[in-house]
Amino acid sequence: MLARIAGLFERYGVIVAFLVLLVWNAVFAESAADFRRPENLRNILNQNAATGIVAVGMTLVIVAGGIDLAVGSVMALCGAVALVVANALALRGFGETSCVIAGLFAGLATGIACGTVNGLLVTLGRLPAFIATLGGLVGYRSITLALADAGEIRAAKTDLLGAIGRGGIPVIPSTWMESGRTLTFTWNIILFFVVAIVGQVLLSRTRYGRHLVAVGGNETAARYSAVAVDRVRLIAFVLVGLCSAIAGLMQTARMASVSSSQLGLQMELDAIAAVVIGGTSMAGGKGRIWGTVLGLLILAIINNMLVMSAVSSHWHGAVKGMIIVLAVLIQRSRRA
Amino acid sequence: MTLTRRQSLGLLAATAVSAPAFGQAPAGSASSRKKVSIGVSIPAADHGWTAGVLWWAKQAMALYPEIEWTLAPAANPEKQIADIETMLAKGVQGLVILATESAPLTPVAKQASERGTFIVNVDRGFLEPVADIFLEGDNKSFGRKSAQFIVDRVNKTGGGKAKVVVLEGIPCTVNTDRVTAAAEVFKANPGIEIVGQASGMWNRQKALEVMETLLVKNPKIDVVWASDDDMALGAEQAIKEAGREKSIWILGGAGMKDIVKRVKENDPMYPADITYPPSMIATGIQLAVGVLRDGNRAKIQSFMPRHMMIDVELITPANADKYYFAESVY
Repeated sequence: MLARIAGLFERYGVIVAFLVLLVWNAVFAESAADFRRPENLRNILNQNAATGIVAVGMTLVIVAGGIDLAVGSVMALCGAVALVVANALALRGFGETSCVIAGLFAGLATGIACGTVNGLLVTLGRLPAFIATLGGLVGYRSITLALADAGEIRAAKTDLLGAIGRGGIPVIPSTWMESGRTLTFTWNIILFFVVAIVGQVLLSRTRYGRHLVAVGGNETAARYSAVAVDRVRLIAFVLVGLCSAIAGLMQTARMASVSSSQLGLQMELDAIAAVVIGGTSMAGGKGRIWGTVLGLLILAIINNMLVMSAVSSHWHGAVKGMIIVLAVLIQRSRRA
Repeated sequence: MTLTRRQSLGLLAATAVSAPAFGQAPAGSASSRKKVSIGVSIPAADHGWTAGVLWWAKQAMALYPEIEWTLAPAANPEKQIADIETMLAKGVQGLVILATESAPLTPVAKQASERGTFIVNVDRGFLEPVADIFLEGDNKSFGRKSAQFIVDRVNKTGGGKAKVVVLEGIPCTVNTDRVTAAAEVFKANPGIEIVGQASGMWNRQKALEVMETLLVKNPKIDVVWASDDDMALGAEQAIKEAGREKSIWILGGAGMKDIVKRVKENDPMYPADITYPPSMIATGIQLAVGVLRDGNRAKIQSFMPRHMMIDVELITPANADKYYFAESVY
């Protein structure tokens, strides 16, 4: 009996942790009334949507027994390339819509290209994923710095970008809101949900998903079962590159600019933290997207709580570090 | 002399950084051996202000092509120590150092000083008096003057009462000096109520996020003490997205050209800004050149001050022209 409860906790502990945090903040905490405000809940989702999208991609790579440290740098490079392309076209007299569309496609292509390079280094080059993407982490950031002369790239035309980055679907009409302003779910949030659902379906309902788990769980066995191990891994890296591009472009659209040194900085750590809290094994072969989403929300709520309650920022890291370690301790397999 | 592995790696890094930017003569050529050689070691551009430092350093260096320059931006103290060791191995006569952090850089600066290298220390001081000239910005004055401006303006236009949000930077002595000095001024004025205090890490995106949270928490905010222009821009975006730009104004800091422009144009959200000029690196470089260039180092040093403090200045619509550098990156 006890073993069964322990087993349930190991599997679903992250749900319990999420609910405890949510209820605590929304009902019992000193700033509960502020936490519950629809604007605040929307902000939490909006602020973490980019990290969430990256974390979904990261989950796939980690399930396949890899890791991608380059995600943050890829985000910055994709944003920078998008704006460079859009600005160059704007200078040649193209309309705003075509500039932005071309920029977005250039950004997405950059993400796919970076993912492909990382994937090829791991598969063809036989480099450990940690090393290959460590090179990417340093290298892609450096290219971004060079593109922007270490400063900022700004969009020449900002109207459409602003509409993408800040716009969304209205969900609560202004008359129902205390602030008197319509509450919108931003495109960022919607994209995050879409990516998360696609990721979950991909991982748990498709043949590719089963192959990912097989490759991460036991590479040799997968190879003997005629799984194209290298192709499965390569695609995982391309997917995380694509996710990084989407996340980077979303943040670029919102700020209508790219800070070459800041965009996506330390994103790899936030994404890996969400994945690990969500119960995905760093050893590969076991993972779940919904866990990652909850892991992300746990970190997001804690962050919000720390700012709300005016805890000195010096202590934020200590709290987050403790949560990460605790979450993994709770979910650690007891049968080992 | 044998280079350690670390030094030779650093040397590679240093030349990789400096060579493409300046196309200097190959080190072995006959003329370059007599050249005055100066190393410039600064933090890597991780933020608008440090990007400004890099830009101004290049401006100052470009004025003196006859000097053999080595420029190395470092992301952390370890890299910076290696850079400086490499510069010493190359035999630089002068060093201009803006330290990433004070304590870890002190020993290598001391070592350089003992070799007779002329050292100009900019902005963040070493723990021992090993620099020949120490040129710093006054961060306490930054905190005091900016807070005093808010108090004065609130007394004049807000009836002496205001709810203020404090945005802090990356935890370090610079931030502590600014925040503590500002807090003292605010405390002495009971009309000022600090309704929120959080770190925006001197970063626009982070400042945007914490400001969003603070806006939800506080239905009434009058002023944001943003202490940095990158953070001011982030806070501004959060305020605008919440539709509260009519009721809140912002005091940033450092003198980013976009903010200076807004001050100049009488933008109601930016009644003023406060300087913390990244050009101080150029001042330091100019000082090093002045002392070393003509071989009169001992004579010149006998009358050069050892410690100079750059006061921060309030930028208002009246004087904003003086602080606007159109071609600068910052």
